[in-house]
Amino acid sequence: MDAIREKMLEALAHVRRRFDGEVRVGIILGTGLGGLAEYIDREAVIDYRDIPNFPHSTALSHRGQLVFGTLAGVPVVAMQGRCHLYEGYSSADVGMPVLLMNEMGAKGLIVSNASGGMNPKHRSGDILVIEDHINLMWDTSLEPLAGLRRLRCNETTVVPYDRGLIEIALSVARRENFAAHRGVYVSVSGPTYETRAEYRLFRKIGGDVVGMSTIPEVVVGASCGMRIMALSMITNIARPDAPEKVDAEDVVEIAARSEPNLRKIVMAALEELSQ
Amino acid sequence: MLDLYDKIEEAVTAIKAKWDKTPHAGIILGTGLGGLVEKIEVDVAIDYEEIPNFPRSTAISHAGRLVCGTLEGLPVMAMEGRFHMYEGYPLKQITLPVRVMKAMGAELLVVSNACGGLNPYYKNGHIMVIEDQINLMGDNPLIGINDDRLGPRFPDMCEPYDQKLVDRALEIARGENIEASKGVFVAVAGPNLETRAEYRFLRTIGADVVGMSTVPEVIVAVHCGMRVVGFSIVTDMCLPDALEPADVSKIIATANAAEPSLCTLVTGVLAAERNDS
Repeated sequence: MDAIREKMLEALAHVRRRFDGEVRVGIILGTGLGGLAEYIDREAVIDYRDIPNFPHSTALSHRGQLVFGTLAGVPVVAMQGRCHLYEGYSSADVGMPVLLMNEMGAKGLIVSNASGGMNPKHRSGDILVIEDHINLMWDTSLEPLAGLRRLRCNETTVVPYDRGLIEIALSVARRENFAAHRGVYVSVSGPTYETRAEYRLFRKIGGDVVGMSTIPEVVVGASCGMRIMALSMITNIARPDAPEKVDAEDVVEIAARSEPNLRKIVMAALEELSQ
Repeated sequence: MLDLYDKIEEAVTAIKAKWDKTPHAGIILGTGLGGLVEKIEVDVAIDYEEIPNFPRSTAISHAGRLVCGTLEGLPVMAMEGRFHMYEGYPLKQITLPVRVMKAMGAELLVVSNACGGLNPYYKNGHIMVIEDQINLMGDNPLIGINDDRLGPRFPDMCEPYDQKLVDRALEIARGENIEASKGVFVAVAGPNLETRAEYRFLRTIGADVVGMSTVPEVIVAVHCGMRVVGFSIVTDMCLPDALEPADVSKIIATANAAEPSLCTLVTGVLAAERNDS
């Protein structure tokens, strides 16, 4: 905890010079979903490269800036662009910004990502409201996180994902008539997409979707006691018995098409988190 | 990270100074399976120590040289002796020879390994043509900034092993009356062998054989656009309800006994490649 906390405090000192206002909710925008940041009434925008210890992203379609402002009237900080383990960062590197958000006052965390679906009942473009996760990233950098003990022991947060927010997300999907499912997110380091045998394995052990992000940030957020909602845009359905090539550009395009649905859920969650 | 490109170039330059042919295939030979090298009309054999940036193999029964020559009328580069994660090498270094093969011009990678059999229908000496793989090594050779000159950021893995070559290898096996089947290879870091509970787990998740190599090299071959054909030789059966302690000398003896069959399949695949071209 100490090393990640020290890095965070150094970053925070720099961030505070640029923005020292209120923050209620942290938002992490994943692949193809960065457009939500355009709806924020901006008060400050800081490039990751200008913040000491901040990981900066090299991924396709990920910009790298921290946006402060208000969204639906709620003071937020959004990470536009995120970093991944496949870029060479550890889970502690990738999770550090969440610690910073929490230190600045964020009690809620909204995370989005794009993922590959494995549940045959799902369709590409559907939204998976993450109900639980399986960490297959093989990274132990967050194990010293002292707060994890609290996560394991606290009866009300056995699962890192807030049940009330899950219900809100699903009710928005019903009201707005788009497909959203409750399910389990498996994370791997990547950068290779999965083989057919690996898809069968992840499905067999209980995964609904597989991706290369989110868990490090959620683990840090949960260890701080944040209320967390994570939404996964299912950008392709892996059918190991009838495999098709995954194209990173297609993934970005499908994510962009489903973005309005995701935005509606985020707005409803913000209303809940502002109370 | 981007210095990988230069490291490959350095190795290629050193090899080209001794051998100026363009290989059709790169070959990586597994534990106890180095005998295929005797079938190669050798132009030059280069010790790994003489090639810049090549790691050195510390494993039992692995020599350490790159054999360049002709097999079945096709120019090939064969690694006699390979590198393993359990030796402590980073996966980027283990897989550097594959990138060197590609940079020399090889379009096909042939890999072999000795493995533990999980599928109860297999037996010692059985040859499995690798149809697909599961990476449980806990690492990936492509982690880090991607060098787009070498391959895409997110390689697709829906067909890491060329299905036409899988079928071709099985056809050759039938013609030569060699018992072979296709199956899934799972890679673990090792170096300990698995517990009974782990064997049950690996079988449950869909693996037919388990080994400590191959997957990193194949990921990198896919990344750089090579076709791949892989052979696993079952050198001990891992039946969790009747498990016997593994004996390395027996494993190597089994590998050596199965070697002629492996040679037949590899040379058969290469002969078909020659006829295709």
